[in-house]
Amino acid sequence: MQGKLLLVACLLVAGLVAVAQVPKVGGEMVIGFGTDPESLDPNKITSAPAGMVLTHIAETLLFMTEDLQIAPLLVETWTVSVDGLTVMLYLRKGVFFHDGTPFNAEAVKVNLERFRKATYAFLLFPRVQTIDVVDEYTIRFNLDKPFAPLIPHLTHNFVAIVSPKQIAELPEGRDIMEPIGTGPFKFDKWVRGDYVRIVRNDNYWGQKPYLDSVVFKVVPSDATRLVLLETGQIHAMMRVPPLDAPRVAATRGLQVVQVPSVRTIYIAFNYQKPPFTDVRVRQAINYAVDKEAIVKEILGGVGGVSDAPIMPLIYGYSPQKPYPYDPEMAKKLLAEAGFPRGFKCTLYHPTGRYMKDAAIAEAVQAYLAEVGIQAELITMEWAAYLAFLRKPVNEATFDMFMLGWGCVTLDADYGLFPLFHTSEWAPVGSNRSFYSNPVVDNLLDQARVETNPATRLAIYADLIRVLWEDAGWLFLHYEAQINAQRTVAKGLIHHPREYILAHRAWLDQ
Amino acid sequence: MIQYAVRRLLLAIPTLFGVTILVFGMLRMLPGDPAQAMAGVHATQEYVAQVRRQLGLDQPLHIQYGRFMAGLLRGDLGISIRTGLPVSREVWSRLIPTLELTGVSLALATLVGIGVGVVSAVKPYSIFDYVSMTAALIGLSAPVFWLGLMLMLLFSVQLRWLPAAGRGGLANLVLPSVTLAASSVALIARFTRSTMLEVMRQDYVNTARAKGLPQGTVILRHALRNALIPIVTIIGLRFGALLSGAVLTETVFAWPGVGRLIVDSISARDYPVVQGAVLLLALAFVGINLVVDLLYGLVNPRIQYD
Repeated sequence: MQGKLLLVACLLVAGLVAVAQVPKVGGEMVIGFGTDPESLDPNKITSAPAGMVLTHIAETLLFMTEDLQIAPLLVETWTVSVDGLTVMLYLRKGVFFHDGTPFNAEAVKVNLERFRKATYAFLLFPRVQTIDVVDEYTIRFNLDKPFAPLIPHLTHNFVAIVSPKQIAELPEGRDIMEPIGTGPFKFDKWVRGDYVRIVRNDNYWGQKPYLDSVVFKVVPSDATRLVLLETGQIHAMMRVPPLDAPRVAATRGLQVVQVPSVRTIYIAFNYQKPPFTDVRVRQAINYAVDKEAIVKEILGGVGGVSDAPIMPLIYGYSPQKPYPYDPEMAKKLLAEAGFPRGFKCTLYHPTGRYMKDAAIAEAVQAYLAEVGIQAELITMEWAAYLAFLRKPVNEATFDMFMLGWGCVTLDADYGLFPLFHTSEWAPVGSNRSFYSNPVVDNLLDQARVETNPATRLAIYADLIRVLWEDAGWLFLHYEAQINAQRTVAKGLIHHPREYILAHRAWLDQ
Repeated sequence: MIQYAVRRLLLAIPTLFGVTILVFGMLRMLPGDPAQAMAGVHATQEYVAQVRRQLGLDQPLHIQYGRFMAGLLRGDLGISIRTGLPVSREVWSRLIPTLELTGVSLALATLVGIGVGVVSAVKPYSIFDYVSMTAALIGLSAPVFWLGLMLMLLFSVQLRWLPAAGRGGLANLVLPSVTLAASSVALIARFTRSTMLEVMRQDYVNTARAKGLPQGTVILRHALRNALIPIVTIIGLRFGALLSGAVLTETVFAWPGVGRLIVDSISARDYPVVQGAVLLLALAFVGINLVVDLLYGLVNPRIQYD
């Protein structure tokens, strides 16, 4: 709830400012962020920076608003049949790509067929068998089984629509580097490692942007980004270090914006390896760690204590009572489980990947030591870590590991199914802790095919309660991010997908 | 001399060949998997395997190396795993900013370093000597990210004289090149000072003085010229240090150089880009060493190339 309130608060601020003044047309806004996009091909992008840039250029069929509601974009309305097997999409008329190609059902089909051959299709459209063009502005999805998250998945940048002409002319095996979409801005220039520049699309079908152009500038160092913001070389920036936030907020001409992130940070147990096969041990570990203190002291209050395996803004979220910090209870449970004097184990964690990840691992180690569990910390560089955590159960050597999961589709299915379903055990999927629970599997399967939203939410509520009581993870926290901007930058949207959107932004100078 | 240069260039070929084997081998010895790194935390095994096949990483190592070398002989450095762009284009666009930065830094370090060193040597134990040698010690020890940020705070945030970071016009070059040059200025200055002090004690300097030559001529024509050989060597070595040390400066100043490209590519296990970039840097290093060796002849005509 904390996240929601913060979000509402910052939206209110943005809204009030926007209402109070008449926007000025023109100018170039510069947004600083940490890493260069790896690609601008909708089918290839994996990072938030790439998604942020692409969102301005190539639009998706549906749009996830900053308060995480699904809104029409290139699709105006949609219907899902009662049996959940047919999905009809009714497209917006009178839309053109930046190269003049008309947007229609054929264009959507070309994009979706290309996407289905791409690598992430399994993730977003697992049940879609065929895609038909019904008429010039109607598309039909035919599914073999219902797949409830399909509609939210259409908001994902992977399925941003680019000009079919560009796809046809793309040489075999090459990626789209200069996307031609239908968005409010057109691609202009990409200097690798330096910046991406986009310019206003004067033929945009919707409300045209105020800005002439937007530059997304790559500034890897957090400290340098702050300096650039202070000197006015950039107008807005991603990721202010939490400790700097109060100082930035106190600086004239600058303001900070806290945005919830959809990423949950957790420590998983090797569910198949004693002593973690014992629910009392898993619960004991949850009681032993003071999550409140971690969020408050280490994260500087940026984020929130997990009260579910997914964060509050995800569809399907159902709050539980966090395990209180209770070392005595932890010791009691450990004794009941046959470990009155604790035990030794390993705790693997990344460093520099998530906010304060190594410091949090150290804190957990210290808390565990207080109840007699001697956790040996082992850190790995990210690429090595990913490979390490992709071993099958008989080769996995860890006892516990720390990881984060961004539920980017904003639907509980994606936040739970890959992490807890038995069919998703590593190395096949992302269930790296070899969690396996027939009740959980059953509920996950049901939620996927349930077409009644109320029933589906009830299934997730049951499921999350089971996972919570089973102490499937050491539940830690969900992250938030602090962005900052100059006060002359108006109308920017700081989106939970870790985007700053300049669609309706303008410069008051 | 031309014959010498050609022979040196030919000798560079086995060196570069060795570089390819070292880089190729060391990258593969790293734990971690490029397919997994590219696919990310959310990917399934099936997807990772598909990526691995696409990249040819399911082939045995000697085949992968053979392919890499075959491409190299055709002047093809391969395709970046992360971006799908040709490596040559990727590396080239990032090499230019780095060469720009290191070139200016080296020039700055040479001019200031030798200048300060000479003055310190001519007036040893003077105020100038103490101040400049203390400053050199600080310059040598200050970490680049600290120095860079301090310069930014002073010249961009407080005084508003210079842009804080980013590549652009000449003004953008000032802070990063000063930051990058700092340790080299210090080193060259201290080195020049000690070499000069030694040379100034030589008999021929006394002879020149005794002949009644003006002080400037004695210092520049007789002393400095003879002190230059070791100084030129140090400057040549500094170029390598600047190239490899540029990555911190590039990160602090948001400079889109090749150092950052290499670090990002190692994190992503983007083998082709790392191989290509290291190879080109090795080439630049070999080239600079050759230039230094040829400069010896210009500085001291007694050195013959045969």
